[in-house]
Amino acid sequence: MARAVRASSRADTVVLVACVVTSGLFTILPSVARDQVAGVLRRTVVQPVLALQRTAERGRNAIVERETLTRRLDSLTLGTARLTDLELENERLRRMVGLGAAMRTGFVVAEVVHTQSLGDEHTVTLTAGANSGVTPRSIVVAPDGVVGMVTTVDPTSSLAILWTHPDFRVSAQSVGSNVLGIVRPHAGAEGERYLLELTGVAFRDSLNPGTLIVSSGLGGRYPTGIPVGTVIGEIKSSEGWARTYVVRPAVKPQDVTTVMIVQPERLGVGVASLWPKPVDTVRRVVSDSALAADRARRAAAVAKADSLVNARLQVRDTPPTTIIPRRPP
Amino acid sequence: MNWRRGLALTVAFLILVVLHYTIRPLLGWRTPIDFLVIGVLLLSVRIRPGGAAFLGFLTGLVSDSLTPATLGAGALAMSVVGFTASWLRAVIFADNVVLHAFFFFVGKWAFDLIYIIVARGAPPMELLVQGAIWSPLSAALTAAAGVFVMLAYRMGLDPQHA
Repeated sequence: MARAVRASSRADTVVLVACVVTSGLFTILPSVARDQVAGVLRRTVVQPVLALQRTAERGRNAIVERETLTRRLDSLTLGTARLTDLELENERLRRMVGLGAAMRTGFVVAEVVHTQSLGDEHTVTLTAGANSGVTPRSIVVAPDGVVGMVTTVDPTSSLAILWTHPDFRVSAQSVGSNVLGIVRPHAGAEGERYLLELTGVAFRDSLNPGTLIVSSGLGGRYPTGIPVGTVIGEIKSSEGWARTYVVRPAVKPQDVTTVMIVQPERLGVGVASLWPKPVDTVRRVVSDSALAADRARRAAAVAKADSLVNARLQVRDTPPTTIIPRRPP
Repeated sequence: MNWRRGLALTVAFLILVVLHYTIRPLLGWRTPIDFLVIGVLLLSVRIRPGGAAFLGFLTGLVSDSLTPATLGAGALAMSVVGFTASWLRAVIFADNVVLHAFFFFVGKWAFDLIYIIVARGAPPMELLVQGAIWSPLSAALTAAAGVFVMLAYRMGLDPQHA
């Protein structure tokens, strides 16, 4: 019995020594041979556990990256939401730069600070003042047209009224037909508050919707050719001797972020050539209206064709009716 | 050991191997639980020292195949740990949970120390930190998991206790 136990113990020791020696041999093998042995094991018995490990690693990576991806998605969503605003601002600034290059001298670029205080929504603060050469009653323009006029000048800032201010007036004329009038804010209901009206148009003159209105230069404050707006339509007025037209302004006050303050000495040179030529504008309006008319004609034709097809289909689907003779009374 | 017990032990060992290659990478801890050591120790105390050494050798070799640079180190360490566990169990161990926890702790730490010495893959200071700090922490976690596995095995798979 004791001999059997001893023999068994010796066999265990031999197995241990064999395992240790084999393992030791593996550790001192050249790296190429080690790679080959490990490769054989990985391709055979270890392959299932390797696949398991790979799946687990992938799962862990997915868990770890989820938060990062969520954060990135949030940033992208936010960025996309801001992109439209940035594109609009970029477009405005490009046009501002183009206008500045065309004007060359005699202007000051300023940023608009909307104060948004109650009862003072028609006035804005500009970030340029007397130190930059701004003087009272200088006109304020944007690439789209008239914005307003400087009223108060401080050394580093100034106040300007927008065209929505009740005191705002500009002598204007229509492009092409040279119909004259005075543009002022339209005193309408809430929805029409941000519109202008062209008053004092001679009764013999009439304007079509879409006609561009520019400053006429009469009065000496606003030079000729600065876009003011486009005619929407005529409104009834108490003045029997003149017509009044509602005008869609060229500049929306809420969109104004950067403006140019034109200095008085620049007005003598003229600024009419800086904005798109009236002929081009008229042509664009005409082509736009032609396009709209064409689109309407096409839509009407499609609708007509649809109704014809529907009518035919209804006729085909309706079961044949039989006329039942009325019973004699 | 009858065939039912042998089958239960084999199933438990295979489950631990699967856990080693799924739970461990999924958790990604700095001090990972070594389910292979738990499996080898769990089987070693129930088989002869020679068989335990061979089981450790095979398990270590499988583990080493994923890190060819240290091929053989894991096999050697696992052979020694398996053999020693089986021999110690035959000599002194009683059926006590705390002693089993200590057994798993020492087994894992011994495995790590042998592996570090044989592999010699890092600077001495790093090896010292690994052996003196990270390995005991990993051994403690392995011991906790080992006790849990042992109790689960007794309640679920072991025909003697079920």
